[in-house]
Amino acid sequence: MIEDIIMYIGLGIVVVGSIVNLIGAIGIYRFRNFYLRLHAATVSTIGGVFYPLIGLALVAFSLAELGEWRFFMGGSLLVSAFLLLMLAAAGSHALARATHRASISRPVPAVADHLAEDRGG
Amino acid sequence: MRRSYIVLISLISVIFVLAYLTTYMGILGPISSDTRYLAKLFLALTYNPDTSTSLRYLTAMSPEAVTAIVWDYRGIDTFYETTVFFMAIVSALTIYRGITNIESKTQGSGLSIIVRVVTKLLIPMNIAIAVSIAVHGHLTPGGGFQAGAALAVISVLLAVVFSGYSFGKLGMGISKAVALRSMGLLGIATVTLLPLIYGIVAGVQTYLMQNYMKVDSPFTFPIYAWGQLISGTLIWLNLAEFLAVSFGFFVIFMLLSLREETVKKYLGVGDGH
Repeated sequence: MIEDIIMYIGLGIVVVGSIVNLIGAIGIYRFRNFYLRLHAATVSTIGGVFYPLIGLALVAFSLAELGEWRFFMGGSLLVSAFLLLMLAAAGSHALARATHRASISRPVPAVADHLAEDRGG
Repeated sequence: MRRSYIVLISLISVIFVLAYLTTYMGILGPISSDTRYLAKLFLALTYNPDTSTSLRYLTAMSPEAVTAIVWDYRGIDTFYETTVFFMAIVSALTIYRGITNIESKTQGSGLSIIVRVVTKLLIPMNIAIAVSIAVHGHLTPGGGFQAGAALAVISVLLAVVFSGYSFGKLGMGISKAVALRSMGLLGIATVTLLPLIYGIVAGVQTYLMQNYMKVDSPFTFPIYAWGQLISGTLIWLNLAEFLAVSFGFFVIFMLLSLREETVKKYLGVGDGH
């Protein structure tokens, strides 16, 4: 009973993650400048990959017929989710920072640019 | 706009036609659900602890068929592959001749603190994964070359995230990396030549790169150590290849992370001279 509930929670997270992935894909296509598109890409990385991996780990933990191997599967899924959580954030930060420093992309309706103000620009 | 729709529709139709042809028309020939004879042979022979039949003379005592083929059945071939890689690094060192260590005269700043902290957390995991790929090379997919490539990622991370001068701060110069890579190659040579030395000393017939006993040769590397399966030569060759490949890549990436002006000034060519 409790295993069924855990499995359906996991499957629900996977479904939500696929919807978030679709939203992220539309965002990458429709958003106007680089930073907004990067935001959409990060949404689909964290919401579309990180949460589904957690959900799949829950599904793996709930499958009693796998025996002790379900802990190997679920554990490796959780480790992958943790790595992705760190790497996606660091990677998108590095991309955005490098783009700003090199002044490659300038958002047209820019309300404020605190980074440029800090650098005295 | 219409042009992109035509591209989209033609791509989708090509995918569907290819899927239909391969799945229902069978243009790639019938797909057998049975394992091929050669695969069955290798799967039966690579790990065969049964010493009652004569088939034991063909085993490599490794449950991982790929490593058994790569380092036992066609071991000389892999040895030549390692030699090719060795020659590539030797030629790179020839181009950058004379540069032994990277002096940290100017301090590189590297990327921001967020990326640096994440990289610092990542590097121990990377080392652990690389070593486990190398040590389990005879049990699970992987092996020396893959583990070396996994460890060499660290050098790229260091060069990009902490700047190329971080190698000098860590005490990892080019000469040290070349020495470690040469140690790996010496390890491969030692494991290759040990059966020969044993054969000369003990007066029995042995073969180069021999792992398990043959019909006319009783020489066998230790298959088990402390109750663990180490598959004779395979673990030693994997570890030596791990050392050789990882530090070979380290040398290449260290040289590539040097500034062009520094290299030109050092070699006495171009505008720096």
